Amino acid sequence: MTAARPRPLATIALLVLAALLAVASGQDVEIGNRAFDLARNLRCPVCVSESVADSSAQIAQQMRSLIQEKVDEGLTDQQIYAFFQERYGDWILLTPPKRGVHLVVWLLPALVGLGAVAFVAVLARRWLAASRAPVSASEAELARVRHLLAEAPPADGAAVAGPATGDVRRTDDQSGDA
Amino acid sequence: MKYGRLLVVVVVLALLAALFGFGLLRGSPDRDVASVLVGKAAPAFDLPLYERYQPEYGPRFALADHVGRPMVVNFWASWCLPCYEEAPVLQRFWSEYQDEGVLVVGVQTQDRDKRSEGRDFIGRFGLTFPNAYDNDSTVSVDWALYGVPETFFLDAAGNVVAKHVGPVTAEVLARNVEALLR
Repeated sequence: MTAARPRPLATIALLVLAALLAVASGQDVEIGNRAFDLARNLRCPVCVSESVADSSAQIAQQMRSLIQEKVDEGLTDQQIYAFFQERYGDWILLTPPKRGVHLVVWLLPALVGLGAVAFVAVLARRWLAASRAPVSASEAELARVRHLLAEAPPADGAAVAGPATGDVRRTDDQSGDA
Repeated sequence: MKYGRLLVVVVVLALLAALFGFGLLRGSPDRDVASVLVGKAAPAFDLPLYERYQPEYGPRFALADHVGRPMVVNFWASWCLPCYEEAPVLQRFWSEYQDEGVLVVGVQTQDRDKRSEGRDFIGRFGLTFPNAYDNDSTVSVDWALYGVPETFFLDAAGNVVAKHVGPVTAEVLARNVEALLR
């Protein structure tokens, strides 16, 4: 098997083609990292569930260009967000502000999480309580167990026969010789 | 007790189904978003006009120059099918209302470098109200558009009084403009 020879001409041709296609597909501007991060937090107005950074819609391209302009002008992030909020309202922000009705979005998951933890804790307590509760058995059941134990061959070195003790208790009021 | 739990499950499922149905039937959420511009001064713009309107209106259309009478500002694009649906409606409305002192203005937007297609669109419907060209969609952002077509109704003071998302009908135009003329 021979190694593929590098083809610089083909690579250059492909790069040129890609650049031409990129130019032909839109008039998008290059934006810096900060502008890109800001664009990621803004909703593309004509798209469904897409940010300004992700969309190829013309209005999103224009918004990216505006964001870059404002970054170059030295505006703060808050000032740039405010520019779009003045026009579109809070709707334009993909991260809702932590105030007013938007607090629901921030608090609800935490409340649901706390509720879930409390629910699991209550269930766990019930299960533990149920497992620790003494087992009750009737006199007839105890008699049957004694009978079976008496019949069973003794295990190696272990005493198996004997009266039921410990938590096992009778459910009836009769006092026997258990 | 057993039936009580079953009832709770059924009620919860019914509520979820109702929520799902509401989400499906309420249409595009974008159309339900109210414009923050309503009640405020319309954002200014100064855009180049298509050639056929220049003899009457000059090379550019500046919104500020026309404040003083009610305006209908319609945003459209050559790729937008509902815009083809509403264009003849707007033209009929303009023919009927231009003598009432109302100005209709069309703005082609979100349609970069599609001037030729824009001319075809205007020619196809014989639009005689002025149509301008927002090549870089700046006005789309300033007017907080969610798409095209969208139509804004401005009072004589230049304030946005109402906004309609989607193709306008004769009824929508008449209702909003009659309110402005009253």
